[in-house]
Amino acid sequence: MSELSHVDGQLPHEPEKATLEGRNKVLGFWLFLGGEVVLFGTLFSVYLALRDQILDGPTPQELFSLPLVAIATLILLTSSLTSVFAIQAMHRNNRTALINWLIVTVILGFGFLGLEIYEFMHYAHMGHEFSTSAFSTSFYTLVGFHGAHVAFGVLWISLLIAQLFKKGLTVVTAPKVYVAGLYWHFVDVVWVFIFSVVYLMGKVG
Amino acid sequence: MADNHATASEPKRRHRVEGPKKHIISFIFSIVLTAIAFALVMSGEMNTMFIYIMLIAMAVGQVFIQMAFWMHMKDRGHMYSIIGIISGVFVVFTMVIMALYWVWW
Repeated sequence: MSELSHVDGQLPHEPEKATLEGRNKVLGFWLFLGGEVVLFGTLFSVYLALRDQILDGPTPQELFSLPLVAIATLILLTSSLTSVFAIQAMHRNNRTALINWLIVTVILGFGFLGLEIYEFMHYAHMGHEFSTSAFSTSFYTLVGFHGAHVAFGVLWISLLIAQLFKKGLTVVTAPKVYVAGLYWHFVDVVWVFIFSVVYLMGKVG
Repeated sequence: MADNHATASEPKRRHRVEGPKKHIISFIFSIVLTAIAFALVMSGEMNTMFIYIMLIAMAVGQVFIQMAFWMHMKDRGHMYSIIGIISGVFVVFTMVIMALYWVWW
């Protein structure tokens, strides 16, 4: 199959890289992810600098519940794997499987968001509100920014599913799906550092 | 990018459809590293500094596997991606060291 085979109605084997626009999208998205690394890195450094300043609020040891964090981690990790399966289905030019795996990814993303909302409400109930202490503010900013990324990703992938239904899998839609997959993996990568640095280190003290 | 010319000039080169095996192995690796990190903290009888170092090692190992396989960074044509991410990581390192060692001096 040549890279131009889509001209006669066939999809090329890696449709996300078949056009210059697609390749530029992927490259530009990687540079954006470099910027996202800096964004989360600054939030992490603020959290690390302020995490001992708890004033009268609860301590991280009192707040964090590891089973809840473990379930959230498992959900997000699995959703990262299902988005890999979605991209593999795209490479097999199987639109139905692609859409189904993306739907599974979105459902898992909603599950993660639900857990996080429950978690934050529980913390607020325990007297750990946004303005309780420097620790609580930096905690909510860091973890909340990640949650906002998950929420944005869920919305983005849902819109892509709608577009795949409408326009099908083409050299125009394929780079969008690929880039959304990269984004979703990145959100999972950030979560790996959040559960290690915020929750597990917070539990150790 | 150079590799685009390669694909265009070799139209007969067959594309190997990649199976899910590597990705499932990456997933199992990630689960195992996560489980070790949680178990270390839950056992709670070790030196704090040792646990910190182990947690960071588990996280970096897991992220490395995920970026290489799931984000295809191991594939060719990813030099600019690697440069972009490494420049971000460089800024993060300076920020974190600043936060840990300078803020409360």
